[in-house]
Amino acid sequence: MNPRWLVLALATALPSCSDPPPEAPHDEWDDKLAARVVDYSAALRIAALRLTGELPTLAELTQVGDAPDDATRKAAYEAQVHRYLDGPRFARQMFRFWQDTLKMGDDPRLDSAPAFITKLVVDDRSFLEVFTAQTGTCTSFDPRTGQLTPADCTNAPITVGLLTHPGMNAHFFSNFGFRRVRWVQETFACTAFPAEIATIATDVGGTAPYTGAFPFASIAGQATGGRVDFRNTSSVICANCHSNINHIAPLFAHFDQAGVYQPQIVVPTPLADASPAVLGDYLPAGELLAWRSGIPVADMTGLGAAIAGDPEVSACVIARLWNWALGKSDIVDSSTRVPAATIDPQVAAFEANGYRIRGALFDIFTHDDFVRF
Amino acid sequence: MHRLRFICLASVVSGLTGLAGCTGEIIGDPNLPSPDPFAELERLQREGPPRYASRVHSCAKMRYRTLGNVLASRGVDLAATDELAAGNLYGKGAPALGAANYAARVRETIDLGLATTAKMFDVYVQAAPEIIARLPSRPECQVGGAGAQLFDAANHCLPGGVSCLIGVPATATHLEVCNQTISRAADVETGKRLAVAVLAAAAHTCE
Repeated sequence: MNPRWLVLALATALPSCSDPPPEAPHDEWDDKLAARVVDYSAALRIAALRLTGELPTLAELTQVGDAPDDATRKAAYEAQVHRYLDGPRFARQMFRFWQDTLKMGDDPRLDSAPAFITKLVVDDRSFLEVFTAQTGTCTSFDPRTGQLTPADCTNAPITVGLLTHPGMNAHFFSNFGFRRVRWVQETFACTAFPAEIATIATDVGGTAPYTGAFPFASIAGQATGGRVDFRNTSSVICANCHSNINHIAPLFAHFDQAGVYQPQIVVPTPLADASPAVLGDYLPAGELLAWRSGIPVADMTGLGAAIAGDPEVSACVIARLWNWALGKSDIVDSSTRVPAATIDPQVAAFEANGYRIRGALFDIFTHDDFVRF
Repeated sequence: MHRLRFICLASVVSGLTGLAGCTGEIIGDPNLPSPDPFAELERLQREGPPRYASRVHSCAKMRYRTLGNVLASRGVDLAATDELAAGNLYGKGAPALGAANYAARVRETIDLGLATTAKMFDVYVQAAPEIIARLPSRPECQVGGAGAQLFDAANHCLPGGVSCLIGVPATATHLEVCNQTISRAADVETGKRLAVAVLAAAAHTCE
């Protein structure tokens, strides 16, 4: 069938606004899910490749594959996943995973960020320290030995997890500091901007309505003395994203090209003279910084606490781990969505267990969906 | 409100992902991308809806460093410098094998492309003689101190060696493919080499 006709058919099949929402029908995809069968040997191969970076040994294969019944096979598989998570190669795999997730690696200055998260995982500490830790965020890692050596970053007067990390701030240096904000959003909230959208769109006199959650007037524009018109009504779509971005970026704007904190804003602007940004370029006078609409923050420490308290962030890390386990591409770059219903129990367990990654990984690698093919 | 009519139009598109809205009120997950509806439709037809696709394993390319670990653990010398040595092809093939480029803020590519799979097969073909020679002496392929052999004296494939090569217990089909590859080759040594390369490529192209 021509896809255009399929779209039209779908459109005409949409319910009217007065109809109750239809129940999801049972369809071919439910049948396909139900048709999967448990295969602990296949699961073991994937678990070994992800968690150790190696194939399972013949002894490991035999232990699981030769188990006399399903219950014994399951127990042998789960015991092996435990050994992988406790083994010496797990740190190396976590380090690689976080290098890829953060898009930072293969340079000691950058590697210390994924090494820091790896240290949190290996030590079974809360993942939320990524946004709150005051020490140890410039950890080094030796992939040959698996040795993690904590060290403090010295680029800023106050350390706030990876938000003040020198390698991150150098790697994602840009005009206005916007690339750093985008990195935080996409890496830890798992969505591209816009980060929030209002329940009611606002007509601001442009060709399209404004859909940001902050008031349209909460960001700077030429009307407030800003040198870039973020309130330009001929392209309101800009404000839809910048309503969030501009409330965060000034905190990152104090880090220079080397990732070192400076008392004044030091990031450039895309203006003809590339002059440094000023606070009035981002926000009108008196407007508070904020992680999200209704969640103001006073400083980087406050931002870290707000991010750590955002339920989207814990759901995001579980979604990333889930996608990694099941061999999916990046959740943002490829829109490889994980519906909440798929991982709700894992997210709840992650939150209940103190945001520890290792326990979450065990839950994922032994989940029914992981061992069925 | 007339400016908000686009939202009704958008709801037609969003019907594909379960959204619907006929007023200025915005309903549904605000974080969904706004895709080309035809691309989204094609994706849904190919992969299934997210409620399905998110729950099944994908065929992700084996990560570059993992591939190196797998080759080394089955007997391949990654430090080899001969032009056509598997280790050399691997070492110089990072871009073709989709390795990350963190300096450019680019993650590793795990989507399989034809060029990547062809490169991987080149590596396995060149690696096969080393694997045949060294796999039985690798500790990963030993149980109780006895190394698993890939072939018996009559040049038939053996389950222990094949299992250790592919990372799952060898089935009768694996062994049949292995034996047929040997018997159909011009000579036994070529056949063994092809059999190992074919089995490794089939097993490890997807991580």
